[in-house]
Amino acid sequence: MTITLRLLCVVGAAITFLGMARQIKKAKIKIEDSIFWVLLSGLLLLIAIVPGIASFAAHLLGFQATSNFVFCALIAILLVKEFHNTMQISMLKHKVTELAQEEALERHERR
Amino acid sequence: MRVLAVIPAYNEEACIEGTVTNLVATCPDVDYVVINDGSRDHTEEICQTRGFNYVSLPVNCGLTSGFKTGMKYAKRHGYDAVVQFDADGQHLPQYIPDMARAMQEQGANIVIASRILAGEAPVGARNVGSKLISGLIKGTTGTFITDPTSGMRMYDRSMIEAFATGFDLSPEPDTVAMLIRKGAKVTEVPAHMQDRQGGTSYLDFTSSMRYMLRTCFSILMFQWFR
Repeated sequence: MTITLRLLCVVGAAITFLGMARQIKKAKIKIEDSIFWVLLSGLLLLIAIVPGIASFAAHLLGFQATSNFVFCALIAILLVKEFHNTMQISMLKHKVTELAQEEALERHERR
Repeated sequence: MRVLAVIPAYNEEACIEGTVTNLVATCPDVDYVVINDGSRDHTEEICQTRGFNYVSLPVNCGLTSGFKTGMKYAKRHGYDAVVQFDADGQHLPQYIPDMARAMQEQGANIVIASRILAGEAPVGARNVGSKLISGLIKGTTGTFITDPTSGMRMYDRSMIEAFATGFDLSPEPDTVAMLIRKGAKVTEVPAHMQDRQGGTSYLDFTSSMRYMLRTCFSILMFQWFR
């Protein structure tokens, strides 16, 4: 892993963490929803500080370059996160429409 | 048999009055409820001033949710059957008694008003889409439905329960296919339909494509997991 990539990882981790902290301060994100991002920034920092972990895993899985493994792992993590988000949005849509339906029916009864 | 016509309406100020008036005049025994799905036009005011029976969703939730509201209403008020009835005047109320009779005599859970059985042949892209959906339903369930895209369907008590409590059950052909697979009995009666009596349809090219994609995926893949 090049020193540039390691530095980029540190910068990425810092931006992620500080961004999260800022949104929590502004009451825009719940603590429970920030955990993923805090862990992700921790992971980036770990990879930057101990690149041996990434190169060991890359070697084990047969990647030609450690950077390829880092990119691939990050994409996979983000895809899982996106899948989870889609699921949560679907559930929220469901809950919102259920609430609207109940509210509409209650209002009809009161009329 | 107590039948409720559920009339989902989204921005239907041009047609809603004529549709409801015609329904009440033709079928005085059939109750109805207009589901105003967060319309931004005068649909709600028309319902209010004309004293129509209506339920108003506070925000636009889409047809699936609007119809579900109607099913919950039917369940709360103990109706025996619900007929899905378009607000735009396409559906003719004189066929509702035929559908109710077919439901009782044949013990069907779902009765579809079929334009094909009445001798009407849809033309062009609509016809291709309809044939494709018919074929998919036949292939996956073994039941042949002549007019799967007909929006005029009657549902019995068990189906009211399923729609009122189910997750993401749209009043569309893919749901009909899934319900057949779960054991529902479907029958069709011949019925003519009219063109929309005013206003504009939401079915433009892109939404038609999206509709077809969603329907095909749902019938071919997702119904096996539901």
